[in-house]
Amino acid sequence: MAGHAHYREAHPLVFVITHWINLICMIMLAFSGFYIHYPFFGGFMGVARGMHFVAMYVIIINLTFRIIAAFFVKTATDLGSRQVDTDIKNWLPQEKNKHQFFETVKYYLFMRKEAVISAKYGSLQKIAYLATIPLTYLMAYTGFAIYGPTMTWGLFSGGVEMVGGPMNMRIIHYFMMWVFIVFTMIHAYLANIYNFKPSKIIFAWKESE
Amino acid sequence: MAQEAHGAIYDLLAVRGVSRRDFLKYCSYVAAMLGLSEAAAPAIAAAVEKGSKLKPALWLNGGSCTGCTESMAQVDSPDVATIVLELLSLNYFETVMAAAGEHAEKNIKDTIAAGGYLLIYEGSVMTGEDGNTLLVNGHKGTDILKEAAESADAIIAVGACAVDGGWVAAHPNPAEATGVQAFLDVEGVKTPVVNIPCCPMNPEWVVAMVVQWLLVAEDDPATFLAKTELLGKTYADRLTGRDVTLLYPKYVVGSTIHDNCPRRGHFENGDFVTEFGSEEEAMGYCLYKMGCKGPQTFTQCPITRWNRSVSWCVQSGAPCIGCGAISWVDNNTPFFKRLSSMQMGDGLGYVQPGSVAAVVGGVAAAALVAHGLGMKAAGRIGPDGPPTETAKKHDRKRQAKGGDK
Repeated sequence: MAGHAHYREAHPLVFVITHWINLICMIMLAFSGFYIHYPFFGGFMGVARGMHFVAMYVIIINLTFRIIAAFFVKTATDLGSRQVDTDIKNWLPQEKNKHQFFETVKYYLFMRKEAVISAKYGSLQKIAYLATIPLTYLMAYTGFAIYGPTMTWGLFSGGVEMVGGPMNMRIIHYFMMWVFIVFTMIHAYLANIYNFKPSKIIFAWKESE
Repeated sequence: MAQEAHGAIYDLLAVRGVSRRDFLKYCSYVAAMLGLSEAAAPAIAAAVEKGSKLKPALWLNGGSCTGCTESMAQVDSPDVATIVLELLSLNYFETVMAAAGEHAEKNIKDTIAAGGYLLIYEGSVMTGEDGNTLLVNGHKGTDILKEAAESADAIIAVGACAVDGGWVAAHPNPAEATGVQAFLDVEGVKTPVVNIPCCPMNPEWVVAMVVQWLLVAEDDPATFLAKTELLGKTYADRLTGRDVTLLYPKYVVGSTIHDNCPRRGHFENGDFVTEFGSEEEAMGYCLYKMGCKGPQTFTQCPITRWNRSVSWCVQSGAPCIGCGAISWVDNNTPFFKRLSSMQMGDGLGYVQPGSVAAVVGGVAAAALVAHGLGMKAAGRIGPDGPPTETAKKHDRKRQAKGGDK
């Protein structure tokens, strides 16, 4: 689980780039979001709002591109392997993930000693990664629902009415940001807990044995 | 212009010291609010004059503080809006009418019996204790409203309380207050209700709606609804448990306070007031950090303003408290915080979303640190990590049982 090699086949250059875009946009979104929530220093609101909107469009386009690319780009099928297959297959639950969900949970709760067999991604990992897709789109939806130019569109005003007004939508948008923050904390922790080889490959595209 | 507008109204205006010029200026102001060109002013003047003779109206007070009446009255000097409303022949208006006792009762009864009137309703509909929370001369307020609503041509629900219960309906709502539309939905009364938001409502918006009726309705509610630009907003009424659709004049609720705010420039520049009494406040900076609810409140306050366009809340230095919103007290308190506090359950108090988030983030960070220490203690961290199982536990179990059969 931890001692395997990290080859470029695991994360082809295109996904290294989309990952960078995600990271930069997420940092910009969270920072500008915090600022819009409560401007903790002066003179930055216009820039913060501009940053927030641009980063959101970029991350949505990036996510959509990433999903489409998953059907065309080939990635490694296993940890430490150069054997590749269409990325979407390695993204969705696979035969190797079957019956492993509770075992993975047990492993992380120290209720078993050996690491579990998994595909390129483990059960928990796949659930988390897949969940970020609807969450990101939902985040965009809640954002548009409190964004001046679009909040009166039927698509968004209907949602605002459903949650009981724009204030509640704001609070949902705020809490969802924390879902992303907590996700990122766990993601960064689990990816690098054994060693920093995963970061080397995903950020610098440097292989390690 | 406006040669066709003449007669009794000008005598009345003259008595009050209002010139014909003032009156026509006011009419063009109303025209602008209704989205008409200034050329419509004579037609409005004519409609007002005609209306003064023809349209009876009732002003009923429900569970209210009379603040809307105060807002309407604003008569430090003769005010055109007030005169226009007086010309409506308000047959019953508790706070300001001269009639009292049986005479007043008779006025309301006669008007209801004659029908064909506008009903202006101020305040919440208090349904608690089977309607006994509001009694007028022994009659339940709910009964009076129902009776008056059934025979009315149209109802103008003025002020946040009449819209959805307002602050009277704020948690825990002991009077079981609700809005006019929610109440009439339950009672099955189909008379159209136009809602004028805010606490108190803006008198100019009421005048504009009255004028709109006089201009286009031809005494027919259906024509009025067809020819008036209205915006429907649906909300789930907490008291009746129903989805209620409120009709608002579009010119009142079409955009946010934030979008029309004169301090918007300071917002974009990032010039904020951080505390009252500060230099920033003196410079008229944006009140966003002081909890201004302008960004999520849909009313026309910055454009119409109050007291004959002299000023309004933000202009006078107070953050918007969002009184034009639905469930505005519960949704917008505390007034001086950016986000409203969330109720944790009856008697458990309130908590700010930011505090919840900080706790969640803190617990997550602490849990990860603890987990990392655990991983180290378990000897999993190292160049090779822990050994991986050779077969899934599920498969091992099945094999132990004898494998596939």
